[in-house]
Order: sequence, then C-alpha cells, then structure tokens
Amino acid sequence: MGEGQIAGRKGDRIVARIKTFLHNDYLNLVVRIFVGIVFIYASIDKIADPGQFARIVYNYHMLPGSLINIFALILPWVEMICGISLILGIYKEGSILIFNMMVLAFIIGISVNIIRGVNLECGCFTVSSKARSSAIDLLVRDIGLLALTVYLLFSKSKRFDLVGRRA
Amino acid sequence: MNGRLAQALILIVISALAAIVTNAVRQENLDLMGNWPSVSGSDSIIVPPSAQEGDPPFISLDEAAAKFQSSEVLFIDARDQEDYEYGHIRGAINLPYEEMDLFWDEVSPKISRDRPLVLYCSGEECETSLMLAREMVLQGWTDIYVFFGGWREWEKAKLPVERGIE
Repeated sequence: MGEGQIAGRKGDRIVARIKTFLHNDYLNLVVRIFVGIVFIYASIDKIADPGQFARIVYNYHMLPGSLINIFALILPWVEMICGISLILGIYKEGSILIFNMMVLAFIIGISVNIIRGVNLECGCFTVSSKARSSAIDLLVRDIGLLALTVYLLFSKSKRFDLVGRRA
Repeated sequence: MNGRLAQALILIVISALAAIVTNAVRQENLDLMGNWPSVSGSDSIIVPPSAQEGDPPFISLDEAAAKFQSSEVLFIDARDQEDYEYGHIRGAINLPYEEMDLFWDEVSPKISRDRPLVLYCSGEECETSLMLAREMVLQGWTDIYVFFGGWREWEKAKLPVERGIE
C-alpha cells in the first residue's frame, strides 16, 4: 500500500507545478511581448508596400483573384493592431484568438504549397524577393509561433493587462 | 468565449478601416478588387495588373513554346542568378533585372538587336520581365515579347529546361 498513492500525489504535484508555471504572470508577459513584437515587425514592410505583398499573396494561390488585394491590404494591419493589443492587454483575448487562427492559416498555406512544389516567397517579414528561405524553415518557424500563441490561449494572466485587469 | 470572438471582430474591423483609409490616401493605391487571373490555361495570355499602353506584347505559353521552336528567337531570363542556375528555359540568357548594373555590360553585347526576344521571370507574381522589357525598348531593342506565365508555367508544361550556368 502507499506507493501507488504517493506516486499519485507526486503526479498531482507535477500537474500543479505545470499549472503554476503556465499561469505565471511574468512568463505570460514575456511571451506576449515577444509575439506582439514579431507581428508588429512583420507588418511594417507589408504596410509600406501592399502592391508587392499582394503579388506574394497571389503566389500562394489560395485566394480567388478578386480577394487578393483586399486581403493584402488588411492582413498587415491586423498583425499591427493585434500586436499592439496583445502587448498592451487591450482586447488581448481577441487578438490571441486571431493570432492562433492566422498562424494556423499560414501553416496550411505553406504546407499546401510545399505539396504543390511552388517555390514560395514567404511574405512574412519582408516583401523583398531576395529574402527566400526554404519552405520547411518557414513551417518550423510557424509551428514554433503556434506553440506560443496556443500557450497564450490557455495561460490565464491578467496582471499586466490595461483593460480587464483583476483588482 | 463569446467575449473573445467579439473582441476579435472589433480588432478586425479596426484593422480593415485602417487599411482602407491608408490605401485611400496613398498615392500608389491598390484597387480593392484586384484583377488577378484566377486560372491560367496554356492558351490564355497572362497580363500583369501593371501593364500599360505601349508595353511590348504579352504572349501565352503556347505562343512562347512556338517561338522556342525557332532558333532565331532568344529567351531572356530576368530572374536573379540563383533562380536561373536552379533551372531556366533551355538556351535562355540570364539578365537579372534587379542587378542590371552588374550584368548589363557583360550580357547586353550578347543580345543581338536583330533577333526576336522573349523575356520571362518566375511567373504571374513577378514583374521583372516587364520592367526589363521596358528598359530594353528604351535601349533600342524592338522585337520584344513578354511571356508572363514565366518559368513556372514553362516548367509545369514540362517544356525543355536547363540547369546550372550555360
């Protein structure tokens, strides 16, 4: 007797520790700032040159022709506004949801084009056609980013939010 | 959860407004509805959105393939050297538009002004073939065609290609 119980309690303790770690206010803040900066930085070049970005979007061959320009115009602003929202903690939950959807969509877009064998320009951080990384690198990078946004989805921390902070 | 969705919608609306307003005040703005070709068949001519009156004629894959049969026609690859080395239309000469300063003196004497030229780059999303065509018209070439389907259409159609530097 006893051993199973102790092991059980040990398991509980590990789960409790993971939970504490998951909801740690400072870890949450660091991840938020990092993800926010990544997206804000990613948006700048695309906001500056939407025409170039539209061409890259077109090359993904994922959207009907009539939606490409409007998508290329709005997407970088969503990255920028949601990045700011995430860092400041204003409507943070909304931006976390959007980032999760967006990274998921990027992963699907890149995967589909790897399968199709299209030589892809990422359009991630720059619209310059010089910057071409391998599609697998892009995929790994986006999966890493997804891990962070999923973490934010489950981590409950409001301590550093400007809006909705617990008293 | 509903609150989360509502927040997301508000953020998207704000972003869309910012995008539309900044696009409206920008000088070189985009049409909200672009006319990007949805499908590209082999006999359809792909014309870039930025095409202007007076640009050299655009040709389809079929026409490019027909011109390829003539030994007189010379193909010019406007992509950068790395792309060219990876693979290009057989017999094409590389003249990267983006680094034209570096290549012009060496490459341009090889391009006879009497031969018909077909210029291409990666495909529909790149415009360097058109830019290069405009530049070459200014420099005095007259018989120029732009094959806007480019390398991607050519390769997909399994037409003759070459790898590496000529």
